[in-house]
Amino acid sequence: MSLLRFSASVSRRLLWKSAAGESVSTGCSRAASGAVSDKEPLKKAKTPQGRFDLPEEKSKDVLEKFPDDVNPVTKEKGGPRGPEPTRYGDWERKGRCVDF
Amino acid sequence: PSVWFMLFHVPAAAVHGSRNFHFSIYGKKKNAQISTQYPVVDHEFDAVVVGAGGAGLRAAFGLSEAGFNTACITKLFPTRSHTVAAQGGINAALGNMEEDDWRWHFYDTVKGSDWLGDQDAIHYMTEQAPAAVVELENFGMPFSRTEDGKIYQRAFGGQSLKYGKGGQAHRCCCVADRTGHSLLHTLYGRSLRYDTSYFVEYFALDLLMENGECKGVIALCMEDGSIHRFRAQNTVIATGGYGRTFFSCTSAHTSTGDGNAMVTRAGLPCQDLEFVQFHPTGIYGAGCLITEGCRGEGGILINSEGERFMERYAPNAKDLASRDVVSRSMTIEIREGRGVGPDKDHVYLQLHHLPPQQLATRLPGISETAMIFAGVDVTKEPIPVLPTVHYNMGGVPTNYKGQVITYTDGADKVVPGLYACGEAACASVHGANRLGANSLLDLVVFGRACALTIAEEHKPGEKLSPLKPTAGEESVANLDKLRFANGSLRTSEVRLNMQKTMQAHAAVFRTGSVLKEGCDKMDAIYQTMDDLKTFDRGIVWNTDLVETLELQNLMLNAVQTIHSAEQRKESRGAHAREDFKDRVDEFDYSKPLQGQEKKPFDQHWRKHTMSYVDPKTGKVTLEYRPVIDHSLDEQDCARVPPAIRSY
Repeated sequence: MSLLRFSASVSRRLLWKSAAGESVSTGCSRAASGAVSDKEPLKKAKTPQGRFDLPEEKSKDVLEKFPDDVNPVTKEKGGPRGPEPTRYGDWERKGRCVDF
Repeated sequence: PSVWFMLFHVPAAAVHGSRNFHFSIYGKKKNAQISTQYPVVDHEFDAVVVGAGGAGLRAAFGLSEAGFNTACITKLFPTRSHTVAAQGGINAALGNMEEDDWRWHFYDTVKGSDWLGDQDAIHYMTEQAPAAVVELENFGMPFSRTEDGKIYQRAFGGQSLKYGKGGQAHRCCCVADRTGHSLLHTLYGRSLRYDTSYFVEYFALDLLMENGECKGVIALCMEDGSIHRFRAQNTVIATGGYGRTFFSCTSAHTSTGDGNAMVTRAGLPCQDLEFVQFHPTGIYGAGCLITEGCRGEGGILINSEGERFMERYAPNAKDLASRDVVSRSMTIEIREGRGVGPDKDHVYLQLHHLPPQQLATRLPGISETAMIFAGVDVTKEPIPVLPTVHYNMGGVPTNYKGQVITYTDGADKVVPGLYACGEAACASVHGANRLGANSLLDLVVFGRACALTIAEEHKPGEKLSPLKPTAGEESVANLDKLRFANGSLRTSEVRLNMQKTMQAHAAVFRTGSVLKEGCDKMDAIYQTMDDLKTFDRGIVWNTDLVETLELQNLMLNAVQTIHSAEQRKESRGAHAREDFKDRVDEFDYSKPLQGQEKKPFDQHWRKHTMSYVDPKTGKVTLEYRPVIDHSLDEQDCARVPPAIRSY
């Protein structure tokens, strides 16, 4: 029984590691210690349902969207995200060449 | 359309062999054998389009718009065609960023094709380009915009102003970073407005030819294994390229050159198949291309000895040498045994000597790409790369209207009832080398051209010419033979042999002895096709059978490619040979033409290769056809006389 709980908390820790990014250490310590400090808001139990109540970390795409989708340098609206794709002579996106 | 069943025999089954499951249909006896009778369904349409990528969809709904009863046969769902992977832009001389003229685009394209492109087709494409892009935009394609709301154009793909003398031109329109995806979805959405009949997941087997005229297509319905004959006055081939003949390519697994093979089996020629566009750094196994920016930022190519081998091949430019030099150097290293990996068939692109911060700011996303496609951490390990096929300039020969032609008795002759467009066709606008962002333009312009030509010459509801009741028999016999094939080689083995041979012998490094060796090996591999073994004996969703049919198609394309390359004794555009490094034209254009004698047709190489194959023996016959040097209207747009191509 205790083994189960241990493995469950380990897997939870791993899950938190992948989902929570920078907040790994706090997540870990919270799961490991099991004690909820008074400063933290009251959280639901760590059931699957409870987990979904956590603020979802937006997956950070490496190519960020421009504000209002307008490229500040070229003033292009609705264009490709990130640096200019044709800057190396081919059409580059995320390190991949898609046209040349 | 009338539908009648020629043969009707219910397939009931007990599957013997490794799978050992029994099922019965309609209460037939449990141990009955799988039927070898094929139910055939006949359809009649005004026009049939094979392939539903960018070009196929445009042709299909262009025809439906003109009132023709159109069928679109495709082995994939339309939005899964390989057009969806085209993320670059589309060129058009709209003149939104600076003053522009389509005649300058015409000049750039003719020059890019190394004067092997037919100037009338290029004239047609570049003149129609602005109208085509505006039409797409009216269909709802969300191009990126300037502040004024006009379509934003960027510099890309060897485009210049004032016939090469006015600097860089900005002609490339795009939709964020997913132009091909957006184009395909726009065209698909638009096509649903018209009543085109879609036959999705139908694998087209062969053309129905009678007396040199194309009368339709015979196809296998993959879902239930029935054979369908589509009789039509007009057939349009838009099946895409054949990247999968090579071991490393950016194309989907479904790019198997089905259209080219159907045309070959019908006894018609394919044009310029030796011109295949390569990119030096494609990820080994995955086929995605790594941008040249990696080398621009300081990445280096290393061989098995850890040596930066580009220093030997290009002492000044080193890794920043032009693409063809880099590709050839990589191939030479691999040939000489200094490749890496268990098969020693690729090299490494090293980026981990660069500061990770620099990589992240200058090339955002590359670590993600390397991890997903190559499984390497780009800050610690090098990326495995090798020269990769990206595009096929060659294909089914057509004139500028999209009609398929043959070259007999010294003149172009139209094949009645047959048209082709897109990457499968060779109009030829790309000639010996395709410029970036011209391919998507090619799709829409010639897709529309096929529809317009058919509308001009025919009327909806025309009576179909009679067809032999046994038409398509050979295709079904071939299908049956493959379905019950019991040789010793699996389809995947033969395919891998072909791909490895093509990659080793018909890739970037081409020289007489290597090509000759490759031709002999390919001929031998072609003979092994008689020794295939398939495992699935059923007819419902038999992917083993479909892959074997695709392998037959790939083999026809591969033998034509390597034999055409072996015969062409010059270097032009994408076809570069070590033993014949120069272009051989009718005049020597590097010197003034005064006093030069024009070489006869059979002694120069500024001509199209027309290749025929005898499907039974695999023997390739080559003929040649002159390049069309005049534009459609000499007053409006003067032709571009050949010159030395240098940028």
